[in-house]
Amino acid sequence: MNESEIISRMREAGLGGVGELDTSAADPFVVIEADSLRAAMLFLRDDEACAMEMMHCVTATERKASIEVVYHLCSYEHHHSLTVKVICERPEGGTHDNWRPAVPTVADIYAAANWHEREQYDLLGVIFTDHPDFRRILLPQEWIGHPLRKDYIYPSEHGGIPLELDAIPLYMEGGEEAVAAKKAERPAGEPLNQPPSKYSARPDAGGKAPESSEGKVNNSRDSAH
Amino acid sequence: MEALEMYTVDRTSDVYTEELRLNLGPQHPSTHGVLRVELQMDGEIITAARSDIGYLHRCAEKIGENVTYLQYTPYTDRMDYLASMNNNLAWSLTVEKLLDIEAPERSQWIRVLVVELNRIASHLIAFGTYGIDLGANTPFFYAFRERESIMALLEKISGARMLYNFIRPGGVANDIDDAWMDEVLAFCDDFDKRWDEYNRILTNNHIFIKRTANIGILTKEMALAYGCTGPVLRASGVKWDLRRDIPYLKPYDEIEFDVPVGMGTHGTLGDCWDRYWVRMREMRECTSIIRQAIAAIPDGVHMEKKMERMYKTPLTPEPGEAYMRCENPRGELAFYAVSEGGKSPIRCRARAPSFCNLSVLDKLLPGTMLADGVAVIGSLDIVLGEVDR
Repeated sequence: MNESEIISRMREAGLGGVGELDTSAADPFVVIEADSLRAAMLFLRDDEACAMEMMHCVTATERKASIEVVYHLCSYEHHHSLTVKVICERPEGGTHDNWRPAVPTVADIYAAANWHEREQYDLLGVIFTDHPDFRRILLPQEWIGHPLRKDYIYPSEHGGIPLELDAIPLYMEGGEEAVAAKKAERPAGEPLNQPPSKYSARPDAGGKAPESSEGKVNNSRDSAH
Repeated sequence: MEALEMYTVDRTSDVYTEELRLNLGPQHPSTHGVLRVELQMDGEIITAARSDIGYLHRCAEKIGENVTYLQYTPYTDRMDYLASMNNNLAWSLTVEKLLDIEAPERSQWIRVLVVELNRIASHLIAFGTYGIDLGANTPFFYAFRERESIMALLEKISGARMLYNFIRPGGVANDIDDAWMDEVLAFCDDFDKRWDEYNRILTNNHIFIKRTANIGILTKEMALAYGCTGPVLRASGVKWDLRRDIPYLKPYDEIEFDVPVGMGTHGTLGDCWDRYWVRMREMRECTSIIRQAIAAIPDGVHMEKKMERMYKTPLTPEPGEAYMRCENPRGELAFYAVSEGGKSPIRCRARAPSFCNLSVLDKLLPGTMLADGVAVIGSLDIVLGEVDR
């Protein structure tokens, strides 16, 4: 089946919240409302004609007006695949510091989604509600912030050690001369393309914590020791 | 360690000892990198396991959002550093899909050649280190001898021994000549003889079979649910290979090759021995693919002329997104690049095969002995550079 046949089959089964197939991108995708995501995933997995037995990838993408959670599904039996998107609109004034979009988890439907969802939470701060093991996966548990968000500010120190951020933009308008000029006007010890932040990556280790409560992650692993 | 399936020890017949929390890694040779596995032990038996990753996190996806499309190719080398060619290929195909272009035909055949050579080199590491994990040191030296030849061959065309940056959007960096292809053919003939040697020294070794058969059994259902791909999935009896089923390069459509699957020869389907044996047989398929590719390689250009001009200014694909899957030695690597018309992607996601294959480890370990746990980790053949990115 191709994508449009899969979507019409989902509609026939009475699934709500299924949008139209968008064929503008190289890979066609369908937008599903967050409320009906779990029902749609269950249908895609268990329906004989769809038989999407593999959750290939879960990705969160930050755009200007929204954060999209993208699910790539595929079927080995029928050689077809489907891209499903859930779009979380950005609220007025929603930034890295105050906005965490929430999407229901599919980790109990596809076990593969478990680690992928943890990674997307870790790097982009998307909350997957009712996830069985919702912790950071790549960064330390006490890390503050979600680095793949566009307005993430690099920490100025880590564990009390100041970070000498020498982030040189690899491509700049104007070529190498522009980079050199930018480097020359930079005061010593100051990062090049990022304002120095007052935050520390690890407040537990003596750094300064930001005012939001994001840093106070419940670290169940440490308490178990 | 709540929320984990616990293996319950039979307190009436088993000897009961006090439970112990054990850290395997992050600095442990059997974890193949910096992987930490938190184990709950009842004597010699693992009752619960939890893997802890992220020690090698290098922000590859964040970097991808800050460099241009072409500048990102060398970063993909460093994800799965044992199969750099394959990673380059996956990224190049993603960018080509985003730009809606196709590489010239000759370059596609060159890509197949180098990618299959790299696949042999990668499986040789899996074979050699698996022997070391289980206490057999000799196969490692045999494996590295042949891997050295492959590295020398690839160095001749790319200039680098491990991190090639050879396959690029639009084609490959350099053309290859007939003398080089003769050397590759000579290597293939030599390798097929060595392959029999490996089987004599390790595959059919009685101790090796005892250590791996019936250990770490991964059922087909579990492998699919956890998103396992590549040899790990095929060893569980799923005959699926992207090269055969969704040929992403033209030559794969024309080349005849077999897809080895696990058969449970010495124990149960999907055990450690099956995973090992699938990799071993894949190496033979690789030499067969290389021979056919050399016989059929057409004349032409190795890089699209239009692309060469585009290299002088950064690529700016139309707004859109592309998801491209490739069959890597460790499974399906996929890149998901989202463009909004700028010089760099706004999202650059790598779906790493080792990441998904490793996620099943927590389920495979409970119930096995500690020494067998090492056999299970080795049989998954993970590269931590790719798990953590």
